[in-house]
Amino acid sequence: MAYSEKVVDHYNNPRNVGSFGKDTPGVGTGLVGAPECGDVMKLQIKVNLETGVIEDAKFKTFGCGSAIASSSLATEWLKGKTVDEAAKIKNTDIVNELKLPPVKIHCSVLAEDAIKAALADYKEKNASAAAPVASK
Amino acid sequence: MSDFFEVFGLRRTLAIDGAALQRRFYELSRQWHPDFHQAASAEAQARALQESAHVNAAYRALRDPLARVEYLIRLEAGRATKEGATLKPKAPPALLAEMFEIQEALEEAKAGALDEAARATLSAQRDALQARMSETEVQITGPLSQAWDAAAPTARPAALKALEEALATRAYLRTVIDDLANVLEEAGDNETSGSESSRDATASPGRPERVGGMGGHIGAPHQ
Repeated sequence: MAYSEKVVDHYNNPRNVGSFGKDTPGVGTGLVGAPECGDVMKLQIKVNLETGVIEDAKFKTFGCGSAIASSSLATEWLKGKTVDEAAKIKNTDIVNELKLPPVKIHCSVLAEDAIKAALADYKEKNASAAAPVASK
Repeated sequence: MSDFFEVFGLRRTLAIDGAALQRRFYELSRQWHPDFHQAASAEAQARALQESAHVNAAYRALRDPLARVEYLIRLEAGRATKEGATLKPKAPPALLAEMFEIQEALEEAKAGALDEAARATLSAQRDALQARMSETEVQITGPLSQAWDAAAPTARPAALKALEEALATRAYLRTVIDDLANVLEEAGDNETSGSESSRDATASPGRPERVGGMGGHIGAPHQ
């Protein structure tokens, strides 16, 4: 199967590979998996607690090229977005950007799930801290 | 077209008599074999060919107890989707975290040379995971299958969900076991019996070789 140039690029030069300490303030962690193929994906965001903007994002994915590319792209998109903006990233955006074939759409779904899980984890950990920011 | 259970005149249950299934398969194969329809009209021949293929696919899906469960889930999920209630299995979070840790350790092992001790550790880990996978398969084809067969209509979604979760667990274990086996193989371990790559190629179409694919690139500068 032919991968699009963008998938190959992200696969060969994955952006933002790595991890933050789980308990670092402002960090949200999402760990998700695709039972169809056994892929696992960890995606983390680091939010500026004053501004609510995602300053950095990292991922580590054990899976196929499309799963790696999807999560790599997701971390690029996350940086500079507010938590609310980040929640609007859809798997279809990833599919369009990477031109994923139908059999690989589940990889983009996985990336969207990972974003959602990371955001939820961040919100849960910062439930009290986030409130004053929201009502500024 | 009839579903695969209907092909053999079966209800949608997981307990299937393998010998009876095979007998019925042979009967149906004969009935629809294209050779026996050569004198028929083109239309009838086409029908025979189609039925013959359908019978073959049905037998393949039902003869293996695990494949049978996978087929049942696809069948039921299709129905559920139509009714607007999709089932999406979530793997137990603890399992995900565990698989992730093993993969990270594997990645480190790949980066460095595998010494005797490291190989022994990985080997033992692989065997332990293999045992867990076998246990999961026993659960799926045993108690969980029986639970589905015995379930009243209202209890079926729960029984199906349990089957799906166990299948998901098996998929994660299989992936890690395969990856472990690959690393051990590359490191020159000849003793990889019992964990020959059993991953169904169709389960992950287009998956490129995973070994080294990612590990080699970590930390690569991003221009």
